[in-house]
Amino acid sequence: MKILPSLFISMATVGMTAATAFADTCPADYPGGNINFLVGFGAGGGTDTVARRVASDIEAATGWTIVVDNRPGASGGVMARGLLDSEADGLTVGVVSNTTVAINPHTNADIGYTHEDFAYLGTGMVLNYGLVALADAPYGNLEEFVDFAREQGRATISVGASSHTIAVTALAEHFDVDLVAVPGQGSAAALQEALGGHVDATIQGAAHVPQIEAGAMVQLATLTANRASYAPDTMTAMESGVDLSIEGHIIFIMNGDTPADVQSCLADAIEAVTSSESYIEFLAGQSAVPGNMGPEGTAAWVADASAFYGDRLAQ
Amino acid sequence: MLDLSLMLAAFADVFTPTNIMFILGGVILGQIVGAIPGLSIIMALAIAVPLTYGMDTLAAIAFLISVNKGGTVGGAVPAILLNVPGSAESAATTMDGHPMAKNGKPLKAMKYALYHSVTGDLASDIVLILLAAPLAVVALNMGPVEITALMILAFTVISGLVGDSMIKGLISAAFGILVATVGLDPGMATPRFTFGVLELYDGVPLTAVSIGALAMSGVLVGLLSMRGSDQKTQSSAISMKGRTREQSVVTFAEYWANRFVAVRAFFIGTVIGAIPGLGSTTAGFLSYSVNKQAAKDPEAFGTGDPRGIAASETANSAVVGANLIPLLTLGIPGNIAAALLVSAFIIHGIQPGPLLFEQQAQLVYGMFGAMLVANFCNLGVGQIGMRFWAMVVSAPGTVIYPAAMLLCFAGSFVITGASFGVYVMIVSAIFGYMMRAFGYSIVAFIVAFLLTPQLEGAVVRARLITNDDPAALLSHPIALALIAMSIGSIIYLGPRKKKKPLDGDLQAPTGQ
Repeated sequence: MKILPSLFISMATVGMTAATAFADTCPADYPGGNINFLVGFGAGGGTDTVARRVASDIEAATGWTIVVDNRPGASGGVMARGLLDSEADGLTVGVVSNTTVAINPHTNADIGYTHEDFAYLGTGMVLNYGLVALADAPYGNLEEFVDFAREQGRATISVGASSHTIAVTALAEHFDVDLVAVPGQGSAAALQEALGGHVDATIQGAAHVPQIEAGAMVQLATLTANRASYAPDTMTAMESGVDLSIEGHIIFIMNGDTPADVQSCLADAIEAVTSSESYIEFLAGQSAVPGNMGPEGTAAWVADASAFYGDRLAQ
Repeated sequence: MLDLSLMLAAFADVFTPTNIMFILGGVILGQIVGAIPGLSIIMALAIAVPLTYGMDTLAAIAFLISVNKGGTVGGAVPAILLNVPGSAESAATTMDGHPMAKNGKPLKAMKYALYHSVTGDLASDIVLILLAAPLAVVALNMGPVEITALMILAFTVISGLVGDSMIKGLISAAFGILVATVGLDPGMATPRFTFGVLELYDGVPLTAVSIGALAMSGVLVGLLSMRGSDQKTQSSAISMKGRTREQSVVTFAEYWANRFVAVRAFFIGTVIGAIPGLGSTTAGFLSYSVNKQAAKDPEAFGTGDPRGIAASETANSAVVGANLIPLLTLGIPGNIAAALLVSAFIIHGIQPGPLLFEQQAQLVYGMFGAMLVANFCNLGVGQIGMRFWAMVVSAPGTVIYPAAMLLCFAGSFVITGASFGVYVMIVSAIFGYMMRAFGYSIVAFIVAFLLTPQLEGAVVRARLITNDDPAALLSHPIALALIAMSIGSIIYLGPRKKKKPLDGDLQAPTGQ
C-alpha cells in the first residue's frame, strides 16, 4: 500500500516530462461513463466554485460528462473516507482542501484514512495567507504588532480554519508573546470581526485583498514562502525569522488503488485547464493563482504539510 | 450620495427585454425550486453561477438575485399545503399556514404568505438602497460579545412557545440544546456525542431535523388517523372545492390588519439579515415567537392565524435584501446565497469590496433596479402559480400523505447527499411523533436547537476576546442594553402569561 503511491509518482513524472507520452498512457476507452466530482464542502464555498469551474472547462475541452456533487462534512473528511470505498476506476474524483488530507488525519481519531491512501491529480488554486489588521491600528507590521501584544499583555487574532490556529500558535511561540486565536465560522466571519475592531488582527486567504486596495486594512505579515503581489513591501514571516509557511490548496484526489494510466487522464486534463489563460484570469479576479503542482508535486507537498501539522499538533 | 442621473441610467439598463426576461425566468425557476422540498435554492444558485458566464454582468446578477427571491416565495407553498417546508426558512410558516389551509382556506393562506413575503422583501430592498452604509456600521459593531447578548435575548422568547406547561416546554428546549451540542465544539474542535460517526462531526443537520420533527411526524399522525376510516368518505386533506370568495381572497383590510406584526417582523428580519451568519430560518422563528408573545391573544397562533403567516414570511423575506448590506458595503457575504453572488461578480471580473460603490456605481444601482422589478415579478408569478399548486394538492389524503412522505425523504437525502440525512429525518420524526403525543412543544425544541450553536460559538469567542474579564462588558453598551432587554422580556412576557393548550404544533394535520 505504501509503495504504490511512489510508483504512481514515478509514472506521472514520466508523463510530465513528455506530454505526448502522457497522452499515450491514458487508455483510449476512458472514461466510458460519467465522471463524478465529489466536493468535500458545501455548495457556494471556495472549493465548490473551483471544482465546478474546472469541471465545466474539462467538459468543454474533452467532451466528457462530469457531474459535480457536494458531500460536506468534517472538513471534507466524510467525502474522503467514502472515496476510499468507491471503485478505483478513475471515474470518482474528490475535490478537497489541504485541511482534508494534511490536518484531518492528525486531529480526528475517527477519520479512518491518512494522506497516503489517496492518489493526487493536481491542485486548482493556492491561497496565500496573510496576517492583516485595520489600517488605523497602532501597528503596521509584524514587529510592531508583537510589541503591541507584549504591551497589552495579549492580542487576539480571528481565524477561519484550523491551519490558521496552528500559525497563530507558531507565531506566539517564536516571539514568546500571548497571541490568542479566536476561531469562527469561516474566513468571512473572521474578516468581519477584524473590520469591526473586535479582534486585533485576522488571518485571511483572499477576501482581505480588496480591503487592502481600499486602504481599509494593512498586511502585517505574509505567511507564505514568497511575498504577496498585492503587498510587495510586507515581509514574509520567514523573512522575520519565523519558521512558518502555510498555504491553502484546493486538491483533486482519487482512490489510491486507481491504476496509474487511468489517473493520468484526469491529471492531464486538470493540468490543461489550470494552465489555460481563461482559468488564470478567473482566479486573478479572486486575487489568487492556480499554482498547480502536478500529481507528484501535490503528493510531495501534502506529505510535507502533513508532517508539519502532525508535529505542531503533537505539541 | 444618491446620484439621480446615474440611478436613472442604471434603471434604464434594467428595462431591456433581455434583462426583464432573465428576471422573470429567474423568479419562475426560484419559485419552482423553492416549492420542491428536495431542491434547495443554494444548489440551484451554485449550478446557475457558471451558466451566467456568457451573460452580460447585469443580466447575470439580476438572474441570480431573481432565483433567490423566487425561492423565498416558493418555500411557503408546500409549508402551507403539505405541512412540509420547501426550504428550512419557511419552517415557521407551517405553524399557521397549514392549519389555515386545513380550515378550508388554502388559497387565502398562500395569498397571505405571498403578499407578506413580497412586502418584507420590498421593504428590505428599500432599506438596502437607502440605508446600506449606516446599517453596515451597526452590523460591524455586533461583535461576539454583542451576538452573545442578542442570542440570550432570542432564547428568552422561547418562553412564549412552550405551550400549556412551562415544565414540558423547558424540557423540549433543553432537549433541543442537548441535540445541538452534537458535533465538534466551536472552541477546541473536540468531538461531542459523535460515537465515532464521522457524519455527526458537523452536528445534526438542521433541515433534516426540522423536516422530520415538523413535517414527517405530522404525516405519521395523518396516516394513523386514516386507518380504519372508510375509503369512500375519505376526503382530501385539503379541500379546494366549494370555497367562497371570503375563503380564497385576501382583502386589503385583512392585509392591513397585520401591519404591526409585519413591521415587527420586518425589523427582526432586517437586523438579523444585516449581521452575517444568522440566517433567515432564525429570523422566521424569532419573528413568529416575538409576535406571538406580543399578541393579546397568543393562543390564536397555531390555529391558522394570518398573523402567524405574516410574522414568518415577512421576516424570512426581509433577510434577503438585508443580507446584501455587508456584501455591498464591506465585501463580506452574509450568507451562502450572497457568497454565490460574489462568485458571479468575480466571474465577470468584479471583486466586491469597500470600493464596489465607487467603481461600479451604475452596476450596483442597476442591480437595485433589478431587485425591485424582481419583487413585482414575484408577486405576479406567485398569483398565477398558486392556482397551479392548489390543483396539485386537491388530491385525497391517500395520495397527499405518500407524496409528502416522498418529499420528506428526498429533501433530507439531498441535504447530505447521502442516506445519513434520511436516518436523521426518521429518528427526528419518531421523536416528533412522541413529543406531539405527550404534549411537548416541537417548536421550542427546534428554536433551541437552531439558536444553541450560534450562542455557544459567540460565548466561546466573547470569552477569548474579553479574556474572561466580566468588567470588559462595561465597554460593550449594546450588549448591556440587549441583556437588560432579555431580563425585561422574561419578567414581562414570560411565565406570567398562562397559555391555553392550543399550540399549533401539537395538533394533528387531520384533526377534524
